[in-house]
Amino acid sequence: MMSVWLAQVAAVIRLEMKKTFLSKRGLWVYLLALAPVAIWGLHSAIEMQGAEERRVLNAAHPVSTEVLESIQRGMSLEEVEEKAGAPHTKFNVNQRGRGRRMDVNQYTDGRDLFTFTFFNGNLAQVQRRTRDTVAEDNLIFAGVFQFFFLRLAVFFGCVGVFTNLFRGELLDKSLHYYLLAPLRREVLMLGKYIAGLTATTVIFTTSAALQMWVLSLHFDKAEYASYMDGPGWGNTFAYLGVTVAACLGYGSVFLAAGLLFKNPILPAALVEAWESANLFLPAVLKKISIIFYLQSLCPVVATPDADMPKILKLLINAAEPASAPVAILGLLAVTAGVLVIAGRQARRLEINYSTD
Amino acid sequence: MPDEVLFENVSRFYGDVLGVNRVTLSIPPGITSLVGPNGSGKTTLMNLMTGLVRPTRGEILVLGISPQDPERLFKLVGYSTQFDSYPRGLTGFQFIHSYLRLFGMSDSDASSATARVIERVNLGDAAHRKVAGYSKGMRQRIKLAQAIAHNPRVLVLDEPLNGLDPLVRAETIALFREYAAEGRHVIVSSHILHEVDTISDQVILLANGYVVAEGQIKGVRDEMREHPMQVLIRCSRSQEMAARLFEQGHLVEAKLHSDGGGLLVKTRDADKFYRMLNRVALDGFDIESVAPADDNVNSLYEYLIGGEEPTR
Repeated sequence: MMSVWLAQVAAVIRLEMKKTFLSKRGLWVYLLALAPVAIWGLHSAIEMQGAEERRVLNAAHPVSTEVLESIQRGMSLEEVEEKAGAPHTKFNVNQRGRGRRMDVNQYTDGRDLFTFTFFNGNLAQVQRRTRDTVAEDNLIFAGVFQFFFLRLAVFFGCVGVFTNLFRGELLDKSLHYYLLAPLRREVLMLGKYIAGLTATTVIFTTSAALQMWVLSLHFDKAEYASYMDGPGWGNTFAYLGVTVAACLGYGSVFLAAGLLFKNPILPAALVEAWESANLFLPAVLKKISIIFYLQSLCPVVATPDADMPKILKLLINAAEPASAPVAILGLLAVTAGVLVIAGRQARRLEINYSTD
Repeated sequence: MPDEVLFENVSRFYGDVLGVNRVTLSIPPGITSLVGPNGSGKTTLMNLMTGLVRPTRGEILVLGISPQDPERLFKLVGYSTQFDSYPRGLTGFQFIHSYLRLFGMSDSDASSATARVIERVNLGDAAHRKVAGYSKGMRQRIKLAQAIAHNPRVLVLDEPLNGLDPLVRAETIALFREYAAEGRHVIVSSHILHEVDTISDQVILLANGYVVAEGQIKGVRDEMREHPMQVLIRCSRSQEMAARLFEQGHLVEAKLHSDGGGLLVKTRDADKFYRMLNRVALDGFDIESVAPADDNVNSLYEYLIGGEEPTR
C-alpha cells in the first residue's frame, strides 16, 4: 500500500510542479523573491561605485591612511593641509548668525572617506565613513533577512503558492480531476504540499543565495575570503536552511488556510499580525509561532532597528532563543500539527464550485 | 460484493437550498437514466454517489462501498462530470495518462491504457492537442475516456451526450449498451428525454429534489393508473370501432383521427383494454397498427410534474 501511496504522491507532484512553477498567477512570487536581490544588488553597485570614486580621488590627491589617522581635533586648517596636502573637496560657509566661519575638507585614502570640519580655522570634528565591512553588512543582512525576507517575502510567497493549491483549483473548477481518482485525500494533500514546498524552496533559497552572492560583490576580496574561511560557509548554509524551514512552516499554515477559508487573505493577515507581534509577546506565546523558531535558527542575531520608537523598545520581550535541535523539532511539530488539521479538512472537502 | 447502488433516505441541502430530499433508491446493473429538468437534483445525486458532496443525512453505498472511501470507490467507479474545466496545459493524452498515474500505475501501463481508451472514443488524431482547444464534443469524449479508462464496474455520466454529433452519439450509446450487457452499471443523466427513452433499462424521474418515479419506463407508466394511457389505433371504420370499444368498457375517451383512418383512445387499464381490443378485432375490423401514444418518459414527465417539463 505504501508503494501505491508513494506513486500517487509522485503523480500529484508531477501535475502540480508545472502549475506552481510556471503559473502566470504566481509571477508576483518571483518578483517578491527577487526584490531583496535587487536591493542588495543596488547596495553593492553603490558601494563599488563609491570605492572606485575614492580610488580615483586618492590617485589625484594621494594621502595615506596613517597621515589621515594622525590628524587630531584642535589642529589648524593650515596644519592639516600641510600634513595631508590639498583635499579633494573643500568648501566653506560663513555662519553670520553665530559669528563664525566653517571650513570642510574631505580626503580619502582610497578606501575610507575622511571629513574634517573646522570652525574659525580650528579642527572641531572628524568624521570617517568607512567602506562597509563584511561584519557590518552581515549584521544588516541578518536584520533584512529576518524582518523583511522571512516575514514578508517568504511569508507572502507561501501565501500565494500554498493557499492556491486547493483554493486556486476550486476557483478554476478543476479540483474534481483529483477527486475522481482512488486517492486518499491525505495523499493528495501531501503531494500538493510537497509540490508547493519544492517550488517555494527552490524560489526562495535561490533568492537567499543570490542575495548573499550579490552582497559579497563589493567586499574587499581578501576580507571576504577570510570570512568564508571562518564562519562564512556555515552562515550561508544556515540561512539557506532557515529559508527551507520557513517554507516548511508557513507552507503548512497556508495550505491549511486554503482548505479552511474561502478567502485566505484574512487568515494570512492575522498570521502576519501574530508573527509581527512575536517580538512583544510573552515567552510562552512566542513559541506558538513560526518566526520564533526561524529566528532561533538564524546564524546572526538581528537587533531591532535603532530607529524604533522607545515605547516599542520597552515592550520588547527578549526571550531566550531556542536551541537549534529544539527549534527544528518545534518547527516540525507545529508543521505536523497543522498538516494533521489540513488533512482532516481535506477529508471533508466537497466539490461545490458554485459557492466557492 | 453487493451489486447495487443504494440510497437510504438520503437528503442533501446546500444551506437552505434543497439539493435532494429523502431519496431511497436501489439501482441495479444496466442503463439507468436520471431524468429531470435543471435543478431537479440529478447532478447532486451523481455527486453524492461519487463522494464529491456528502449527504446531510442518510446513507449511500456503491457496490457496498461508501463514497467517503475514494481509495476503494474509484477503483470501481468512473465519473464523467458536467464540469467543463480541466487542469491547465494538458493534452488529451496527458489528461488521461496523468489521471491513470494517480491510480499508482506505472508510466508504461498508463501509456498503453491511455492509448487504448483514446482510440476507444475516437480521439486518436487529437490526442496530442491541448484539451483547452477541443470542441465541445471532443471534450465530452475525453471526459468519457477518463471515466472508462480504468475499466470501472459503475459508470456515472452527467449529460454525456451533450454536444455530440449523431454518429458519435450512436457510438457512445453503443458503448453504454456494451457496458450494460456486461452486467455493469451505466448511470446517465439527461434532460433530453428521447435520448434516455431509447437507451434506458430503467429511469429515475426527479423533480425539485424528489424522486417522483423510478423503474422501467413501461412499469412506471403502468403504476400511474390515475393518468389514462393513450393508444393510437390505425384502422378502417374508426367511428364504428370507437362505438364498439365504448360498449365493452375500459375506455375513458376516444378521439377520431382527422383522416378518418384511426382513433386515439384513453384507458385506465391497458391489459384489459388490449384483451378487449383483440376480441373486437375478430369482428372484422381491419386494424393496421396499435401503438401506445404516451409510453415514454416525456409523457411520464407531463403526468408526474405537470408544468415542469424537461427540455425537449
